[in-house]
Amino acid sequence: MTRSTRLIAAFFFWAFALYLFLPLMVMIAMSFKDSNFIGFPIRSWTAGWYAEAWRDGDFIGATGYSMVIAVVSTAISMVMGTWLAVLLTERKFWGRGIVFLFTMLPAVVPGIISAISFRIYIRILDMEPGMAAIIFGHAVHNVPFVALVVASRLRTMPKSHVEAAQDLGADPFVAFMRVTLPFLQPALIGGGIFCMLLSFDDFIRSFFLGGYDPTLPVLLFSKLRSGMSPEISAIATVVLLVTAMLGLWAERRMRRLERG
Amino acid sequence: MMDGTRMDDTIVHIDHVSKSFGDTVALREMDIKLARGEFVTFLGPSGCGKSTTLRLLGGFEKPDTGRILLSGQDVTRLPPNRRRVNMVFQDYALFPHMTVGQNVAFGLELQGMGRDAIAARVSEILGFLELTPLIDRFPEQISGGQRQRAALARALAPDPDLLLLDEPLGALDARLRAQVQVELKSIQRQTGKTFFFVTHDQNEALTMSDRIVVMNHGAIQQDGTPEDLYLRPVNRFVAEFIGETNIVEGTWLGQEGGLGRMSWQGATLTGRVPGATPAPDAEVAASVRLEDIRLSPDRPELENAVEATLASSLFKGNHRIHELRTAAGARLLAMGGQGGPLPVAEGETLWAAWPAEAMTILAD
Amino acid sequence: MTEIDAARGPAGPERNAGGVSVWARLARSPAYRGLATLTMSTPRRQFWALAVLPILWVVFTHFAPLVQMLRVSLLDAYPPTIGKDPEFSVEHYRVFFEDQLFFAPYMRTLIFSTTLTFCTLLIVYPVAYFLARHVRRDRQILFLLLLLIPFWAGEIIRSFAMMLVLGNNGAINIVLRWVGLIDRPIPFMYTPFAVSVAIIYLTSLYMLLPLYSALEKIPQNYLEAGADLGAGAWTRFWRITLPLSLDGIAAGCTLVFLISTGVYAIPVLFGGPNTTTFAETIAGFFHVAGDRWPTGAAFSIIMLLTALAVTGVFNRGIRALQKDKHR
Repeated sequence: MTRSTRLIAAFFFWAFALYLFLPLMVMIAMSFKDSNFIGFPIRSWTAGWYAEAWRDGDFIGATGYSMVIAVVSTAISMVMGTWLAVLLTERKFWGRGIVFLFTMLPAVVPGIISAISFRIYIRILDMEPGMAAIIFGHAVHNVPFVALVVASRLRTMPKSHVEAAQDLGADPFVAFMRVTLPFLQPALIGGGIFCMLLSFDDFIRSFFLGGYDPTLPVLLFSKLRSGMSPEISAIATVVLLVTAMLGLWAERRMRRLERG
Repeated sequence: MMDGTRMDDTIVHIDHVSKSFGDTVALREMDIKLARGEFVTFLGPSGCGKSTTLRLLGGFEKPDTGRILLSGQDVTRLPPNRRRVNMVFQDYALFPHMTVGQNVAFGLELQGMGRDAIAARVSEILGFLELTPLIDRFPEQISGGQRQRAALARALAPDPDLLLLDEPLGALDARLRAQVQVELKSIQRQTGKTFFFVTHDQNEALTMSDRIVVMNHGAIQQDGTPEDLYLRPVNRFVAEFIGETNIVEGTWLGQEGGLGRMSWQGATLTGRVPGATPAPDAEVAASVRLEDIRLSPDRPELENAVEATLASSLFKGNHRIHELRTAAGARLLAMGGQGGPLPVAEGETLWAAWPAEAMTILAD
Repeated sequence: MTEIDAARGPAGPERNAGGVSVWARLARSPAYRGLATLTMSTPRRQFWALAVLPILWVVFTHFAPLVQMLRVSLLDAYPPTIGKDPEFSVEHYRVFFEDQLFFAPYMRTLIFSTTLTFCTLLIVYPVAYFLARHVRRDRQILFLLLLLIPFWAGEIIRSFAMMLVLGNNGAINIVLRWVGLIDRPIPFMYTPFAVSVAIIYLTSLYMLLPLYSALEKIPQNYLEAGADLGAGAWTRFWRITLPLSLDGIAAGCTLVFLISTGVYAIPVLFGGPNTTTFAETIAGFFHVAGDRWPTGAAFSIIMLLTALAVTGVFNRGIRALQKDKHR
């Protein structure tokens, strides 16, 4: 490639990186601002907003609520996603294409429509908006993702492994538990972390399916609408750091998988 | 080696089994019995049905028709986990998340054996296969040859009635393969187990087997000892598949004094007829092994002799391969000793001759 | 005789010494045995045991919500009022086509999403290109991971961060004022521009990943071969790189389009009265009390069909283009 295209591409890359990171930097800086008003200029600094956030019952409550939802919905997504992946990769059957299409459906429905359809569906099922409804929505939304990750790992497993287990006396269930699952383990860990983060970060489904208690993104959203304070910056910074670290770790794990 | 001889030593009976995959017929009416303690090799090119036979015995495929009897019991419909048959897979299929010891213990655990008994059995079998130092290693931490033995240990540990080996030497390099062939044979002798070995490598089959079953197109071509197959092939496929040979094609003349006669390029050749007797005036082929052809400047006193030109002579280390051309243009290969001068110079004529018992006339 | 021992192993009561494993105990339990016979004794049973639950799951949780939404959109009222059975009605679809109030946000969303998808592609393509072509192989993953960090912060937190940049006291205005270019803050917020910047901030990573993986797969020697045949940089890009990255473009654009049609929080936070999107319109029917759910459902169906139609046509177009290039 010529020098000029290279330079242009490099410029775009770094400008893009700046575009991605500058807002987060501003947000982090803002969390240390010693004032009730958000915005520049920052004249004096404090770590007080973090202490404030820590004492904020709403924030702590919403975080806990989001975590419970993330863990439970992930557990459901993992079971169903893995189950579907096994069915779709290991069996050829009539209607497999349709099952695959249905599996992927929640991944292609735009967010608002997904949320609305679930709002209607839980009403039809006579479910109250609230934790169970959110868990249900998140679990369904994350299934296609788990199925994809698990299926791509499963395809790399030699068929002989399961046959060997059966040959040595394992029935299909025991063979799955003792040979297939351990083989899938890295994909399951990576996929599980992703699911938890997707659920933890989700706004649209939680917003429409939630009851009185807000999840963390819903809480932040309502705080943003009612006026901003540096405390939000502090909360957001903590969440950013924790989720980014978890996300990086999971991503690394799965990338390594693809290579190895 | 075996405690007490029984009237019926049959351990496996494949009873008129057929199997197709879609339009492809993998096995046609196979009917064969294997005796306890035999090292049987199923030999043939890929797609001949040997692997299907193995998978049927393992329980990974179900026959379309026919039965499979193991130690007298009908196991045709039994899944793999309920057969006293274990398998050494082509890729070994060692579980990557378990150590060698855990791999070997896997089958024992599922049999419901107690922990102490398992530990004893694992160390016994690993000791026997000289794998004891590797007990805590993971499969990716050991060499190819060690993996092959670990897979063997895992399959032997549950004490199967029959051990299936699916080309287990294919992944090894040539030198190691030769060594493992000898080892495998001696392990089989020492354990007294019935080994059902599948390969496409005739050398491997000749080295290890008590009995070889040659297959092609889903059917058994010949079933016999290595000597039988090499010296007395019943058809052209077997003759060509096992060892190197010269095939001469001619017309059947008839039988005389227990030997068959055929005409070939004006000459009359005499040979044995171990297979079916050909129809009168049929086109027949005959096989003559390279090492049975004797070369001399003068016509020797043997049943079969033709005059030919020495086209070339290749030095092969411990022997030579002479390439001959007859007047009619046919090509013959002969094996000669490595030392000494050539019988004649290249390009000159000489006599190639072989005794009647060295030639096999084949109906097809 | 050691040979025979090696073949047989211990027999009799000593076999059970030391206790048996969980798996063996499980296999022996009558409950498990019964279940195993029920689910695993024949290949057909095994298939059904494996297939029934996941198929029910996708039918009743992935597919049924959309079907029910379609059903509700064809009722005259929902949730049903006591003592009155809802009746079939296409009224809610008619409203959409007749009322300018609803058609405007619909068109706006379509145009907006299409434009934003195109902009995202233009912005992200050079980035992915740089990453796949000009960064050392062993560093590419690291760079990619760094770019993914904001992705994990979530929609709301990222939106918040963007608000801090675009606000009247935000980073851009402060810098511009400090430089002296302006003396009164430029009101970025609550404009289509703000919504666009925020949405691209949300969607660009969904474009980056497919583009990067498509570009990364193009073998370097194709380009070298091109150069060898005398193709200039521009020709090489146009004739080799671009056609070979069409898959990535298709996947990235599809994802970004679907996301940007469905995004709700950003137009609410960044938009003003003249940027109302269709997502906001739909949401409105569910916030105000009760009886307009069927209208919301009908509008959702319209939007879903539109989005799927647009992405379907787009992907078909890309595929046709690919076939064309192959000829």
